[in-house]
Amino acid sequence: MTVRTEWDHKWSMVVDIDRCTGCQACVVACQAENNVPINTEDIFKQSRAIEWIRIERYWEGEFPDVKARYLPAMCQHCGNAPCEPVCPVYATYHNDEGLNVQVYNRCIGTRFCANNCPFEMRFFNWWQPVWPESLRNQLNPDVTVRNRGIMEKCTFCVQRIRRAERTAIQEERDVKDGEFAPACVQACPTGTLVFGNSNDPNSRVAQLMKSDHPRRYRLLEHLGTEPNVVYLKKVDPYLKEEAHNGSH
Amino acid sequence: MASEEVARDVLQRTFVKGGRYWQAVAVLAVVFLLGVVGFILKLGDERAQWGYFAATFSYLFTVAQTAPVVSVALRLAKNHWRRPLARASELFAVVGLFNLLFFIPLLILLPSIEGRNTIWILGVWPSRFYTPHIFDTLALVGLVVLGLLFLWTAAVPDFAAAREQRGGRGRYAFLALGWQGTARQWRIQRALLGLLGGLYFMDVLTTHFLISSDFSMALVPGWVDSIYPTFHALTGLQAAVAVTIVTMFLLRTVGGYREYLPMESFWGLSKILLAMSLMWFYFWWSAFITFWYGRLPVEQNIIQLIMFGPYRPFFIIGFLFCCIFAVGLLIWNPLRKSPAAMAAIAAMILVGGFFDRMRLYVASWSLADTTEHELTKVPAAIWPQVPDLLVIAGGLAGAVLVYMLATRVVPVMSIWEMKELRLYQVPRQLVRRRMLSLGKPE
Amino acid sequence: MQDRRTLTDIQVNETLTNTVLKTPLLWYVILAFMGGIVMLGVVAVGLLVNMGQGLNGYNRPVMWAFFLTNMVFWIGISHAGVMLSAILRLAQAEFRRPATRAAEVLTVFALATAGLMPIVHLGRLWRAYWIFPYDFSRGIWPDVRSQAVWDPHAISTYLIGSSLFIFVALIPDLAVLRDRTTGIVHSIYTMLAMGWRGTVRQWRLQAIAGIILSALLLPVFVSVHSIVSWDFSMLVGVPSWHTTIFAPYFVIGAVHSGVAGVITVLVLMRWLFGWHDYIRREHIDSLARLLFVVALAWFFFFMLEFMFGLYHQEGTEMVVRELWLFHAPWNAIFVIFILTAFVIPVPLWLFRSVRRSFPLMFFTTILVNVGMWLERFLLIIPGLERKHPFTFSWGEYAPSIFEITIITATFALVATMILLFARAFPLIPLGDAKEARVLRDEIRIGRRTVQAVLREE
Repeated sequence: MTVRTEWDHKWSMVVDIDRCTGCQACVVACQAENNVPINTEDIFKQSRAIEWIRIERYWEGEFPDVKARYLPAMCQHCGNAPCEPVCPVYATYHNDEGLNVQVYNRCIGTRFCANNCPFEMRFFNWWQPVWPESLRNQLNPDVTVRNRGIMEKCTFCVQRIRRAERTAIQEERDVKDGEFAPACVQACPTGTLVFGNSNDPNSRVAQLMKSDHPRRYRLLEHLGTEPNVVYLKKVDPYLKEEAHNGSH
Repeated sequence: MASEEVARDVLQRTFVKGGRYWQAVAVLAVVFLLGVVGFILKLGDERAQWGYFAATFSYLFTVAQTAPVVSVALRLAKNHWRRPLARASELFAVVGLFNLLFFIPLLILLPSIEGRNTIWILGVWPSRFYTPHIFDTLALVGLVVLGLLFLWTAAVPDFAAAREQRGGRGRYAFLALGWQGTARQWRIQRALLGLLGGLYFMDVLTTHFLISSDFSMALVPGWVDSIYPTFHALTGLQAAVAVTIVTMFLLRTVGGYREYLPMESFWGLSKILLAMSLMWFYFWWSAFITFWYGRLPVEQNIIQLIMFGPYRPFFIIGFLFCCIFAVGLLIWNPLRKSPAAMAAIAAMILVGGFFDRMRLYVASWSLADTTEHELTKVPAAIWPQVPDLLVIAGGLAGAVLVYMLATRVVPVMSIWEMKELRLYQVPRQLVRRRMLSLGKPE
Repeated sequence: MQDRRTLTDIQVNETLTNTVLKTPLLWYVILAFMGGIVMLGVVAVGLLVNMGQGLNGYNRPVMWAFFLTNMVFWIGISHAGVMLSAILRLAQAEFRRPATRAAEVLTVFALATAGLMPIVHLGRLWRAYWIFPYDFSRGIWPDVRSQAVWDPHAISTYLIGSSLFIFVALIPDLAVLRDRTTGIVHSIYTMLAMGWRGTVRQWRLQAIAGIILSALLLPVFVSVHSIVSWDFSMLVGVPSWHTTIFAPYFVIGAVHSGVAGVITVLVLMRWLFGWHDYIRREHIDSLARLLFVVALAWFFFFMLEFMFGLYHQEGTEMVVRELWLFHAPWNAIFVIFILTAFVIPVPLWLFRSVRRSFPLMFFTTILVNVGMWLERFLLIIPGLERKHPFTFSWGEYAPSIFEITIITATFALVATMILLFARAFPLIPLGDAKEARVLRDEIRIGRRTVQAVLREE
């Protein structure tokens, strides 16, 4: 059996805003899968909460004609990531599967990357994270429990990617489309989130990501960061024409 | 040379010009007329074609109208070695009048600020869409007037000397404004010089700010470069020092003022020129590295437009002449102490400065649509046509011509300051060394 | 208008070494007080190490705050040294003489303090050494693309350079002290004085070394604060920071606060050590004129920065200017900043009586530095609070008691270090004070006597 280390993988995600109901299932799933510390009310009030994926909620219109808009947001795994060159110790870098990876052991906590992230998707461990006694067995053994003083962020559930790749190696095949998904995608009840290998033109994510998709856009595209997450616009008959651009 | 002889000698050189002077005037006049022909040929061109014309205007503004700052700044610093060169730099104020000719067509061509980036953002100005047209004119005309007033104030005692020599009649009697040299008059003159100098300095900065942003930066959509006005002013100061050095050298060799212009004056200016050339790099680099590192698509396009894209040859020549070669040569003290070498380096900087202006102004005038949100496509280069070359040559020749004609009226060496220098500088003996005692009046 | 007294060499030696040879009682009192505050700061840092950065007021949008503001501030102060010593030495300005040593000392200690700030701010500050390229065996190098790597290298270069600068200028004074001490102290000074005998050759070498170091330090001086400014201006993540003027703007701001800091220190020195014959009105007057010009230049850059924030009317920038101008507490901070950094002190310096008054100069220069601290605060924090175009992640910031303690302690730390330095070395160069007397001259023009300076022909 040959051990494969080179893959033709580029992990990408598509977020179909039209399907999002703002139920936050993805947030909970991510919290459970990735050993993200518990965010108490106090922590939210200090705005120090760690949510690798979050549902940004915007209100549109004047009362009583108010609409809630939801924007699921996670690390965009930018192809031209502003967070990477500013790290003095290479604690964050781009791997060859299109992921923007964080090396916890190497991080010294300058928080430079967090400042240069235009999407505000990087989180700092202000304290040593603690879990109540009852949740000790809940921690995912595949994921590092982070120390205080370091950055963390969405990894596209890299542990699941690696597991799928290991299985594929053992079975001497390529990773199949839809074979696995990050926790948020798996938990999403409406199919808002779609994950896959965008280098494979037949994968569902590549189909949805096509540059001629009428509803396609990416966050803050004018910054040229080349995000790896593609959003699909909301289809809303009441939406005003000029408010259609979600990137501003 | 004794104090009394200075006045006689300088006035003699002012009133009586040799044949070479008139030959030069004739040649310059012909070239200027060719420039007028070029201008007529250009009439009817689109705005994008006027980039070289704008570059010439900006260059004359940069060089000639900034030049009096050399005299203003050194006066404020109370340097003694500025005395021989003060008038040569002040006299460039007269070129400002000539440069107004260039300003008028550009003013007509400058698009309205409607729907584009502009520094006039508040919309409370008297004429909303044509605000820059009004205020830039005010600033530029104000600069010309201030420059002429400054020159006049500085030269009044010399005009009085000329009046005495001419028997108390004629135009010098008017220009000297009844100057008798009383203590009160000297006090007023000093206060006026300080005031006008300070105002001139501020107006130079303001006008550089306005011209650079209204006539080049604001024409490029998405070009937001907060250092650019300062870079523009700095290149202006560099060119001002350089043109003063070249003028001094010409006065020394051709003009016959060798005894008045000591090596010390060249040396003093050369150190300032070195500092300016270093700062050229610094201010350029501040803009470049911020754009380049930021990697925003619009900023990449702007770097392409004004530096590495269509006008790369212009940029490279400007960068080498104004910065790399200038610094590389100016760090050598033997060169700084040699008037000829200094004049050569200064001339190189002046040439480089012109290429720098071309890459900035031609690039920014070449964009057809100024109301886009961001620059998305870098247009192809516009190379100079024959009328452009004629206009450039005519403009430069005209400026030199105006300056040369002015030296016929205003003594190009400040008589009263040369006399003052002879009072404040006394040789002394300190133990075994010969020293110079420099008076520092408070 | 110059209140000069003729002093002999012996008098100069005695008064200027009195900090070292007989220390005033007040010195001990102030040292104890400052030392106490420093200890408080050390305790606070200890708690940060023990418990984590959560003790501070940081939160998600505001990842950098007081500590980096303070770093920029102290780097600014540290620019005084080279500005005064190097530039004025090259320009042969006479009024620099009593101020050079104080300015250089302020440089070194302010810089050391500034260097501490980003370390204290790190999440895992016990790993701070990872930003230096030490790790040859594992082959892991720091990323040279990161400004956080440029910073420590620029700062340490400047620190080493300016320490050398002080040392070279100090050698003749060390020899004076060597000749006036006994015992173990004597041997230390003997070692430090490196066999200085005051021969013509030694003086010439010392002067050349001073000039070469001045010329070499000038580019370092500009680069240090530029690099610090690039920490901010190169980031595309914070739109209000991303502006090309930051580098020269920070440098001129640094000179503004630095020269003000030197004047403050000079006035304090004059009061504490009684050096009325050395730090005279005309010195403070000339420094104030210099400061006036610097302040105008700084204001020009400030206006440009402010103006070009509004220029392209992007929402992300407008919202920060709006925060500055219309929202508490930023509008109050903005008003205080403008008043203290420019509007109050600068017009006052137009008056000769203010420029020549020690208490008023002390007061106005303190104001300048209050304003300049707030300026850095305004540049850094509001941009972070409103950095995100998505309003969901906007935030607020308030410093915690730990940050305030540590910031206060840095001021005490600089004071402590200067006091300790003054206990060991003279704060006014003896040689310069004597040279100034030799080069002083007068010229008679008609009935007036004009002050003059001797220069080599």
